[in-house]
Amino acid sequence: MKALLLRLEPIIWLLFGQGILFGTILLTGWVLVVGLLVPLGIAPADALGFERAHRLAANPIGRLLLLAIAALPLWKGAHHIRSLAIDFGGGSRDPMVATLLYAIAAAGSLLAIVAVVRL
Amino acid sequence: MARPAHPPAMGPSKPGPTRTAPPRMPRQFPMQGRYRAYTLFDATGVVYLLLGLLAVRLAWALGDGEAAWSAAMEGFRNPLYLAFHALAFVSVVFVAVRFFRLFPKAQPPRIGPLRPPPQPLIVAMLYATWIGVSVVLTAILAGGIF
Repeated sequence: MKALLLRLEPIIWLLFGQGILFGTILLTGWVLVVGLLVPLGIAPADALGFERAHRLAANPIGRLLLLAIAALPLWKGAHHIRSLAIDFGGGSRDPMVATLLYAIAAAGSLLAIVAVVRL
Repeated sequence: MARPAHPPAMGPSKPGPTRTAPPRMPRQFPMQGRYRAYTLFDATGVVYLLLGLLAVRLAWALGDGEAAWSAAMEGFRNPLYLAFHALAFVSVVFVAVRFFRLFPKAQPPRIGPLRPPPQPLIVAMLYATWIGVSVVLTAILAGGIF
């Protein structure tokens, strides 16, 4: 498993890097509106009503952005949690922890791809 | 004295011919001095992972139809979700500020014949992109434009 993780390292780092850069750039507005302004009633609820949300997300650019917002943070999260686990728990369990975390990120990314395709 | 480190984390995989002192964790690890920001930066990984999973859930709900979408959005009014998203917003801003400061330092001195722009210019471009995209995305999602 350790050998496989080392072989996949370039891909994992690519996705992790994009997760930090593009994930962060896109998540700021997303979290602000979807997580705070609309639920608190500061922005109108119909701004993210089903019809409008579907119209925004279902075009090619919307699908791509939604995929980036859903998938990229998973890789940033998985890689940094792995780093935390090594710092606090040592490297002996790293292959198991890393495999579990990247499996979650990969499964989430696949689900995100399917989710934006079926919109 | 600083506490012992996890030897597998920092020790050599095979003992070499040179005797070395056992590795020790830095005194300030994990939440003092410069290690505080380092540890918190890594800890934002938990927030990002949850944000990604929530976005996947929302995307599925959007594909499932109006009832599922409305239920998912209604769920975000729960105080626990609101508290999480407030923490997430702070985390995302923290990651942006820390990463944008680090990014220029991580650039190679040259790529082929090209040299990267001066560091202050890279930082300015990152901040301009981040703020610009955030403002436009906020305006679109909040119903201000489109």
